[in-house]
Parts: sequence; C-alpha cells; structure tokens
Amino acid sequence: MSQINLVQSLNRSIDQLMAQDERIVVMGEDVGRDGGVFRVTDNLLNKYGDERVIDTPLNELAIIGMATGMAMYGLKPIAEIQFQDYIFPAFDQIVNNVAKMRYRTGGRFTVPLVIRTPYGGGVKGGLYHSQSGESYFVHTAGLTVVTPSNPYDARGLLVSAYKKNDPVIFLEPKRLYRAVKTEVPDELFEVEIGKAARLKEGDDVSIITYGSMVPTVMNAVEKNGVNAEVTDLRTLLPMDVSAIIQTAKKTGRVVIVHEAPKTLGVGAEISALIAERAIDSLLAPIVRVTGYDTPFPYSHEELYLPDEKRIMSAVNRVLAY
Amino acid sequence: MTLVGNLSDDQAILAYKNAVRARTLDLKIISAQRQGIIGFHVPSEGQEMIQIAIGMLADKEDLIFTYYRDLALYLQRGVPISLIFDQMLGNSNDLQKGRQMPDHFSFKEFNFSTVQSPVGAHLPLTVGAAYAMRYNKRKGIVITTFGDGATSTSDFHAALNMASVYNLSVLFVCENNGWAISIPTSKQTRADIYKKGAAYGIPGKRVDGNDLISSLAGLQEAFDYVRSGKGPYLVEASTYRIGPHSTSDDPKKYRVDEITDGSEKDPIRRLENLLLTMGVIDSGFVQSTRAQAKEEIDKTLEERMSITPSNPSTIFDDVYENSSWIQEEERRDSNVAD
Repeated sequence: MSQINLVQSLNRSIDQLMAQDERIVVMGEDVGRDGGVFRVTDNLLNKYGDERVIDTPLNELAIIGMATGMAMYGLKPIAEIQFQDYIFPAFDQIVNNVAKMRYRTGGRFTVPLVIRTPYGGGVKGGLYHSQSGESYFVHTAGLTVVTPSNPYDARGLLVSAYKKNDPVIFLEPKRLYRAVKTEVPDELFEVEIGKAARLKEGDDVSIITYGSMVPTVMNAVEKNGVNAEVTDLRTLLPMDVSAIIQTAKKTGRVVIVHEAPKTLGVGAEISALIAERAIDSLLAPIVRVTGYDTPFPYSHEELYLPDEKRIMSAVNRVLAY
Repeated sequence: MTLVGNLSDDQAILAYKNAVRARTLDLKIISAQRQGIIGFHVPSEGQEMIQIAIGMLADKEDLIFTYYRDLALYLQRGVPISLIFDQMLGNSNDLQKGRQMPDHFSFKEFNFSTVQSPVGAHLPLTVGAAYAMRYNKRKGIVITTFGDGATSTSDFHAALNMASVYNLSVLFVCENNGWAISIPTSKQTRADIYKKGAAYGIPGKRVDGNDLISSLAGLQEAFDYVRSGKGPYLVEASTYRIGPHSTSDDPKKYRVDEITDGSEKDPIRRLENLLLTMGVIDSGFVQSTRAQAKEEIDKTLEERMSITPSNPSTIFDDVYENSSWIQEEERRDSNVAD
C-alpha cells in the first residue's frame, strides 16, 4: 500500500500496464517530455522511449484518429486530450469512427482505446479549462464513460478500461488530482466498470453523484449530520441502474449532484430512470443540484460550482416535502 | 510489383476485364436501385483506371483504406461480386450484418479496412494503421483513396502532417474526379491538390487517372518511394465522375457532362482502343468480355437476392463486445423476434 494522490495513482497504473503489455502506447500533447500538463504520464518517456510515449502535434482529431487506426491494427493506445474542453475537434472521430467501428463492421474491427482527459472546474481555468462535457459522450452508444472520484477508483478503473476491447472515455476530475492522498494497493487491481459505489448508507435521502462532486457531497452530509445514502456512480455509461433504483426505493427522496449544466445532464437520465422504475416509492420530487446553464465563468467559478450550501438547501427541501 | 515497361498482355487483359466488370456492375446496381432492389449507390463510373492501377501495384500485405467510390479497386484485388452484392443488399451473408449503407464496404479478408460516410474521416486512421504496422514489424505499406472534396477537410491535413512527422509509409491517392457532389474542384480549392503535401514535407505528383499506363507509371514512382521507407507520398489522379455523385442527385442540375459512358474519352474505351491497336485483343474479345460481365453480374445478383435478410434482432449486437443492460433491455422491449 502507498499513500498517493489521483495523479500518482493513474501514473502507476499506466506504468505497470506498459511494463507488462508492449501493445500499449501513450500519446497526446506534451505527454512525453513534459509528462503531461498535469504530470499523469510523468517519466514514462524515459522508461519506455518515444516509440511508445508519443508527443503529438497540436491536433486533437489527429490524436484520436491516429489512435483509432492503431487500435484497429493491434495496438492498445492510451490517448490524452489535454483538457476535455479541447476534445471537440476530435468529436467526429469519437462519435463516427471510434464509437461505431465494432457495430458498423459487424464486429470485425474493434477500437480498444482509452481516451483520458481532465474535466471540470475549480482550478481557475475559465471557459476553456473547466467544462464538464460528459453528456456529449454518454449520449453515444458504443462508448463507455467512466469518472473516478478518488485515487483508488482511478487506479482500478484505468486497469479495467485498458482490459476492455472497446473504447473508453476516461474523465479525470482535475480538481481532485492532488486534493487527497489515500491508501492504494501497489499491485494492479480492477474496479468494475458499470458498478457504482455506495459511499455511505443512510435512510432519509439518497444523494447520487460522481466525479469531482463526490468530496463536496460527502463533506456536506457529514458536516450537517444528514442521514443520507450517498452513491458514487463511477461509470456514467452504462450507469448502474440497480444501484440507482435500489437507493431511490429505499429512501424515497433523491437529490442528484453534478458539476455539468443541468439541461440534459446526467442527472436528467438518472431522474428518468427513477421515474420509469420507482415512481411509486417517491416521497418527494427529485431535485438536481448542478452547474448552471451558462458557459463556465472565470471570476466567479465558486458560484458556478455546486457547494455545501446549495446541496444542503436541496436536501432540506426534499426532506421537508 | 513493378509493371511499367513490362506490362504483360495477360495483365493488361485482366485490367481491361475488371474495368468492364466494374462498369457493368455500376450500371446494374443503378438499375437495381431504380427498381427498389438496392437502396442507394455511389457509382465509380469513369474512375476505373486509377483504381485498377492501384490494385495492380498493391501487394497482398499492403493495407488499403478506400472511400465509398472504389468498385474497380475491389474487383482488381479479387473481391467476388457476390460479396459486393451481399453488402449492398444487406442480406444475412453481409459481413457487416446489414449495418451500413451500400458502398460502405469492409473487405478485411482482402486487406481492405472499412468505409465511413463522413468524408476524409478515414485519413487519420491510415496514419495509426501505418504506425501499428511499423511497430509490429509487419511487411507492407498503407494506401488510401479519397476524393477532391476530402482535401478540404481537417482530417486530410491532420493525416498528412502526422504521416510526415512520424515518417510513415502511407500512400495518399486523391481520385480527383472534378466534382464533390455539385461543387467543381475549382470551387473546392485554388491550389493544385498534389502540391498540398509540400506544406507537410510530402512529395506529390499528378497522374492521368483516366489512362491505365499513365496511372501505372505515376503510381510506380510513388509506391517505390513509400516502400523504400522515405515517408508518405501524395498522388493526385485526374479523373472524371461520369455519373452522378449518387443515385440521389441529377448532375444535369449543376453541370454539363464532359465525358459520357462509352464515348471516345471514356477511360475504358481508351484502354480498349489501345489494346485493339496493339493487337492484344480484337473486337470479338470486346463483345465477349462485355457479354460475360453482364451474364456474371445478372446471375450473381439474382442468386444473392434469394439469400435471407439479416436477423432483425442483430441490430442490438456489436455495440460492445458484451452488451450492457441498456441494449439487452431495449432488445427485450423492442419485440424484435430472435
């Protein structure tokens, strides 16, 4: 076991996987010499050389397109998009090539590709280093979308993502990169994709969240002594529907917390799943606490991000209903 | 393979036969489309010579990423017409399980990759494939085809740059047929397409894509360059789209035809005349080649039409290696019989 943060955790998983599987190549802008702007790929260039740790020209569609070709012909690329805000030039590649390859070729070509990218606000990154664009990808069949909220899950989910013979969008909450250090095993292990984590048992209200909002939620609940059941989804596509329905039925009161804008956010899908499958158990309306439907502001980012006050206000509203 | 200068009669005759087969197939598919048998078609009429030249020079281990207008290339590489019809009909024998529109082939067994609709989106993939081939020490190069419209896409420029930066063995062949649906090449770009590689340190040349011998000669140099490991190369083959962009448009609306099927400028007619003049073939051979092609294609379509359609419940397969609960639930709720 080691006390490590989320960045170190990801770095260790990639390093250990590369050591045992020569098919893995790491590629992206500044991933080699610089070790990535957040240092997730630090020191890999020295260890594995520039044929396997590839500093690419500044073109996201080229990174993903090239990685796709590599994945189709026998390699296992782990591609980094420096900020999720910059993934959009590659959107056509992701939606029309990466996600559809297995389907359109009748299963004869596959794209075992992990696309890692930091997302979310809280680092004073303004409009273009703060977005939470998970919904764009969750809406696309053929992709798998995961987001860890702590060093342990980050390490395990990355191993599981690598083992999948399908593309995975691996969203890294950049605000949590160095937020905490926790005990993480030194040997490789997996965290099952598609399975949520029950972070806290409770009876009065269910809070469903993921990624960067998990510590904020846990802190609010603990500080205010709420008898809440907290679920960290960990995988956004496919979502753990049984965990969602189970907790909704148990407490009958649901609050969903995410950083992405509300309209057609992941919370909308969670609400719909509950409405379809557990409406008879509900004792109160489902309430979403989310980022606002505005671009991400620079100066007042603390107003944009859901915080203890907003979470508690929603929890109290639902409890009082 | 080196052909120019020592092209044998047999090779020339095979090329001619495949050109005739491709043209006959095009016309058959268009008529089947009008009868409602096939849903859609992107004809290759007029572009047979450059496509066949690529097929003649490519080795078995070379990987080819085609675009949606390359019928003659498939035939020259040995793809049976039955498999082409299976895809176009989307029957239960289709390798892609009826998932793609006609002309979006994936003849993996013949070392072709897969075809998508978004123009140029395969070009960055060719770079990754070439990287993987070199990494795995596989023999062969990557060859890719695309139209003039594709040269305006970001994908084209991204691919050229990446192929050059990593010095990869990719042969880019633009089949410049003069038209991107209704837009002439002059409105697509003000520069010569074959010169566009220069910005990325990639040599290029233009060949007469309507002439088999010129295509072979020009391509040979490009193949040699790429095979020698010097890096990527860009060929612009000047050719002409005799037909419409697809069965969904009528060129009369936007252009005056410059070359028509069977006219003296038709590339197939040009090869035919050359072979007749040289005494490699005679008029009886021309007649029998056309008749044989027609018979083969008519018979094959009829035979493939009798194959059962693909199983409807397969629409939920191959989204992932293992379907998630979402596909399984939708399969169950769809009432699609297994």
